[in-house]
Amino acid sequence: MTEPAIDTEGLTKRFGGVKAVDGLDLTVESGEIFGFLGPNGAGKSTTINMLLDFVSPTAGTASMLGLDVSAERKQLHRRIGVVPENYGLYERLSGRRHVELAVEFKNTDDNPDELLERVGLSPDDAGRPAGEYSTGMSQRLALAVALVGSPELLILDEPTSGLDPNGARELRELIQAENERGAAVFFSSHILEQVEAVADRIGIIDDGRFVATDSIEQLREGLDGGARVTLQVGREPEAQLGDLPNVRDIEVTDGAVCGTCLEPDAKLTFIDRVRETTTVTDVRIEESSLEDMFASYTTDTENDEHTEAAVIGGAEA
Amino acid sequence: MSVRTVARKDLADAGRSKALWAVSLAVVLFTAGITAAAATTVDEPASVLFGQVFQITVVALPIIALFVAKGAITGERESGSLRVLLSLPPSRRDILFGKLIGRTALMLVATVIGAVATGVVIVTLLGDGLALLVPFMFFLGLMGMAFVGIGVGISAVSASDGRATALTVGAYLVLVALWNLILRVIQAGAVEFGLVESGSQPAWLQFIGIFPPSRAASTAFQTVASGGQIFAADPFASVWFPTLILLVWIVVPVLGGYLRFRSADIS
Repeated sequence: MTEPAIDTEGLTKRFGGVKAVDGLDLTVESGEIFGFLGPNGAGKSTTINMLLDFVSPTAGTASMLGLDVSAERKQLHRRIGVVPENYGLYERLSGRRHVELAVEFKNTDDNPDELLERVGLSPDDAGRPAGEYSTGMSQRLALAVALVGSPELLILDEPTSGLDPNGARELRELIQAENERGAAVFFSSHILEQVEAVADRIGIIDDGRFVATDSIEQLREGLDGGARVTLQVGREPEAQLGDLPNVRDIEVTDGAVCGTCLEPDAKLTFIDRVRETTTVTDVRIEESSLEDMFASYTTDTENDEHTEAAVIGGAEA
Repeated sequence: MSVRTVARKDLADAGRSKALWAVSLAVVLFTAGITAAAATTVDEPASVLFGQVFQITVVALPIIALFVAKGAITGERESGSLRVLLSLPPSRRDILFGKLIGRTALMLVATVIGAVATGVVIVTLLGDGLALLVPFMFFLGLMGMAFVGIGVGISAVSASDGRATALTVGAYLVLVALWNLILRVIQAGAVEFGLVESGSQPAWLQFIGIFPPSRAASTAFQTVASGGQIFAADPFASVWFPTLILLVWIVVPVLGGYLRFRSADIS
């Protein structure tokens, strides 16, 4: 049996009186792409910091590739590749030198130039000091460093920050290629669509706890999201619309009637019913989006003080 | 393996720093310049001149050593490169000791160049004193190592570069600039409370007198220059005791820094 890529039990970190991570049980199977999703401040970075032994847990255990993250870290770090959050480069050393150092530290025989080419850094750029790099180039270099030694597990903390849409797509392709080679990939993001595009499974963390862990399809099914149908009407309906099967939250506002339809044919019933009472001038249908799903998992859970938690849709990218 | 790679990387990285080269150049010009000025204006034998130059150098060199060392860890911590390094196999111990070796090497190179320049000035101007060049270099080197160790230790316990700078300035003030004053206050206090008689120098007071690395180095060198023994009956008149103090300074602050750094949260 292959050891899971990541395995934590009751992982907890308290800073002062505040629980940043609260009894996290996480298992990422070998060969899996796992998206670690949550709003900023939900505990993603603290979790990854504990996995990398940057921060020691208050309670609980964590292992990766069957090795304890702290006691066996040296052995472990030879077999994983990491792009940490808020990483920095050596301004005076060239990009190539960075990769060479990683090769030396990991004791492998990778060709730095091949890795640099793979992440899209030209030989010219690779020879320049990293202090002259743009954010996107730094991100590419950090990836090249992470790929040294063909790691069995890639840990990428917010890897798309600083990448343009093109770079984000290349990153997805790279993640998929690494995964096909056999690597497990664990990456965090606060942007849902990026996780959705590649992850086999996602875990949504909020307030230091998992609020959901499953495949995207399963997570979507778990929510009776339905579709929001908005009808522009000539005048307000004269009669009460009454109860309609599989239609919820009917609202009548100025010049519009909205309803959430849980089944496809409920939309037609809804439209027909409204047309019986008034004239419909326009129809707009919004399928429940992943953003809604994310928002509902991270805001509806227990309290209302996290309404700002609905950080979604790439607004911050 | 990892320690060596960290040390080499640190040397390569720090070696490209213009500030550090400026500092090294300043050491050389400073010691050699002072020496030349003293040698041409004061009519003293080489051994006395070496001693005077040493006294001045032990005040200036610690600033440079502390400056060279204090950013060893905090610099990487603030830039975030420490996170990259710690994501790779090197442990915190590898990083700390690799950094220590890199910075110490840098400091020793600067010290040796400065000392050789000084020696050349003295020997050419006075035609004497070549024998003292080795102890001159040796004790300045040990003192430089001690202050690099103090600086790296401070860097390891500091969460930010600003904090490391503050602690470094504090260390310099206490150990170098104000030690004479501190010593006098202790002495006066001891007399006041009747612990010692006025004018007497019990061993513990003598020990406090040579406790800072700069004073230990001075004492050791003066003992050698005045023909003292390595192992005399009185430890304060022999070379081994101040040398031992220097060695303790080289080891203890770094070790203390490591113990803190080992369990520090890097976030």
